[in-house]
Amino acid sequence: MSPRRTLRIARWEAARNAGTIDRRTAILLACTLVVLAVVAPLLALTAPTPGQGVYRVAVADSNPYHAPVAANGKLRAVPAGANAVDRGRADVAVVDGGFVVADSEKGRAALATLRSATEAYNDRLMSLESDVAAAFPVTVDVEYVERGARVGGGTSEGERAAGTTRTSGTGGDGASSTAPRGATSAESGGTPTGGAERATGTTGTAGSGARSAPSNTPGSLAPPFPLQSLLLAFAFLLPLNVVIQSYGSSVLDERIDRRGEPLLVSPASRADIVVGKALPYLAGAVLVTVPIAYAVGAGVVSILAVLPLAALFLGVTFLGALFARSYKELTFVTVTVTVVLMAYAFVPAVFTEVHPISAISPLSVVVRDIRGDPFRFGSFLLSTVPVGTAALVCYGLGLGVYREEDLFTQKRLPAKALDALAAPLSSVRRVALVTVAFVPFVLIAELFAVAALFVAPPSLGVPLVLALVATIEELAKSLHVRAGFANARFPRTDRTALAVGVASGIGFFLGEKLLLLTRLVGLPDLTVGGAAFGNAELGAGSLALLVAPLLLHVVTASASALGARRSKRGYALALTGAILLHLGYNYTVVTTLG
Amino acid sequence: MPAARANVLSVSGLTKTYGDVEAVRGVDFDVADGEVFGLVGPNGAGKTSTLKTLAGLLEPTSGDVVVNGYDVSDPEMRRTLGFLPEESPLYEDMTPRSYLRFFADLYDVDRETADERIASALDRLDLDVRDRPVGDFSKGMKRKVAIARSLVNDPEVLIYDEPASGLDPTTTNVVIEFTRDLAAQGKTIVFSAHDLHHVESVCDRVAIVADGRIAAKGTLAEIRADHGRVEYRVFTDVAVPDATEVEDGRYRTTVESMAGVDDVRERARAAGGDVVDIRTRESTLEDVFLAVTGGRE
Repeated sequence: MSPRRTLRIARWEAARNAGTIDRRTAILLACTLVVLAVVAPLLALTAPTPGQGVYRVAVADSNPYHAPVAANGKLRAVPAGANAVDRGRADVAVVDGGFVVADSEKGRAALATLRSATEAYNDRLMSLESDVAAAFPVTVDVEYVERGARVGGGTSEGERAAGTTRTSGTGGDGASSTAPRGATSAESGGTPTGGAERATGTTGTAGSGARSAPSNTPGSLAPPFPLQSLLLAFAFLLPLNVVIQSYGSSVLDERIDRRGEPLLVSPASRADIVVGKALPYLAGAVLVTVPIAYAVGAGVVSILAVLPLAALFLGVTFLGALFARSYKELTFVTVTVTVVLMAYAFVPAVFTEVHPISAISPLSVVVRDIRGDPFRFGSFLLSTVPVGTAALVCYGLGLGVYREEDLFTQKRLPAKALDALAAPLSSVRRVALVTVAFVPFVLIAELFAVAALFVAPPSLGVPLVLALVATIEELAKSLHVRAGFANARFPRTDRTALAVGVASGIGFFLGEKLLLLTRLVGLPDLTVGGAAFGNAELGAGSLALLVAPLLLHVVTASASALGARRSKRGYALALTGAILLHLGYNYTVVTTLG
Repeated sequence: MPAARANVLSVSGLTKTYGDVEAVRGVDFDVADGEVFGLVGPNGAGKTSTLKTLAGLLEPTSGDVVVNGYDVSDPEMRRTLGFLPEESPLYEDMTPRSYLRFFADLYDVDRETADERIASALDRLDLDVRDRPVGDFSKGMKRKVAIARSLVNDPEVLIYDEPASGLDPTTTNVVIEFTRDLAAQGKTIVFSAHDLHHVESVCDRVAIVADGRIAAKGTLAEIRADHGRVEYRVFTDVAVPDATEVEDGRYRTTVESMAGVDDVRERARAAGGDVVDIRTRESTLEDVFLAVTGGRE
């Protein structure tokens, strides 16, 4: 690669692009940027909060509960009165130090919210005390037990926290228990005041103190939905759509009427051309991201997190533009890219600060950055490394077909994709390397599957994840092998098929270790996360556990390769068999090893 | 006897396949320094694949291609080469000047030299509009810009694929004359064309390509000698067997050798007449082309 030529091509691409934008488009773009610049800070100040004032609490201004109600966004104080609940004016009424609660889910939720609001209010008051020891006295219960016996009855962090650590309120309202972060007040089991409760209807739920072990589904969570931060983070992605539209058109433009042919015959290498053409758009993404980061109060970390995502947007668009036969097909590609990647980035980020699944999205880094949360290196790596590596692999595959005989052909999209997969396969070793290169995509796909299915009950989610993982991994090990045989990159013999199958299996086994990245954020601790990523961790214990996944990958990849060398139908059949075998293996691992 | 010129381009055993299709099948030829070599053949014969392989655009499936001492896969080779594809793919939003300067930069030509070359080429090609977007240009004007691009690096070897294809007669003449000028300057040119008249008028040697193979190769005289024929039209004042009456009292018989002429003369004399005129007609390149390719266009 020649940096001078690369930069010359980049300069030319930027100048051409500036020249091709007509005045109306330029005005439209400028308006979009202005709107973003204006809306983002406004959003930061005045973003709507879901459930703002959703629970009405009848409480007198002079009542001590009035201040906690006023301080909580979900609660709205309405004029006091014992019959406020009966008349439907309130969901909870504070009467004589007790509560009247509406006999409905909303009433009970209102009471729970009132409790947590009161605890939060009390904690804030306590934190203002100069004597911290007095404000937060620590009570230690000492219990002597025989060695090896279990301490206490708690089985979860939540229970231990509630059972062994208590803080005493000093605000005159009585004791209150702290809850683990993210747990609801119902889990903590404390009462907001020491007063008696008087509830109408199903009063048994109020203050029952019932605790449940934290599960891995959002049903048990009351996430502080980070809408404001998420919307701000979303502002980073929107301009990328403009960038990829322009980039995709530019790449396709090279292919229309063989326009890019003279460049291919010039001393500029393929890499010079591809990198040179991509640089202005990557720079554009940075230029757009930096002011947005400044406007929404994000920092360098956010920019560093968004850049790999921007690179993946560009990488997939590049591949799509190489495969598309027309601008119509390109539009289909860019819309698909936008939807899939935005879903990948946006959906997990909804659970930022609530659930480790959020760590797969670069937007979660942005959300945390905007909220001023501490930087977590592991999460940063998990959210950026697979995405960034996948972008590089996209460019690697694209480079393979950025040549005369592939660039200008009018094959259908799947045939072009197979060409791209087959292009780097010049030897058996290359098969293994391409398989390794697919691992970031496997990681992204599996993370996405986990993100999509972790809301499902484990009885449904786990089998689905197991099946998806088996399918994704078997495709990653065999698709390029099939492409190689279809493009006559290897002799169609059983011996060759076995060789490339074994190479692919070993490649995947080695590449799979990348999945250990998920350990950095504790993703395998999730039920569905363990089902998806537990395999990568096998091998830490014994030789048998090390060899088992290696054998699995080699056997299934070889089976698929043997089918792939025969025909498309043979490949489909062999792949199905490999997926079923893989699924059986995964199921055995999950059920026997937990 | 003049010293033999060194070969600057050498092709041996060149094959190129696309999947199951064999476009070029074992092509061999050499082109000497300063020579103009023509490739002619019907559509799909493998001319363009051969030329693109010479330009380094296509990777040979097998065989060797050496240009200016560089293997065709060597990126350095491209510096010494100018390629003109069959179409004129230009960036429509660019002006000829900015377009040509961009390519000059890629060839590491300094700005001053580049501007001189660009001005010289466009002057010779009679293109005086240099600061309007190429998108506004006619096909002929675009072709001239593309030709100028092939010259920004002052290459020793030029590979032109159908340089006058689809142009009006005036522009065609300009392009063909320009190609002759380049040849006169000592450039080595490999040239393909559909119009055999252009090939005859420009090329020193010709290869006729059919079905991916070279069916005939050499100077025009050599090809005519090997694949063409000479016709003798013998006119007699009496009717002889196989003769056609062409006008009152004159009959024409076509033979392919002097022995045939003698035979007609004997028969005419036997009939009481004689031979009154003999006209010789040599095969054109078109005749040879049709004979070699079986009449495929």
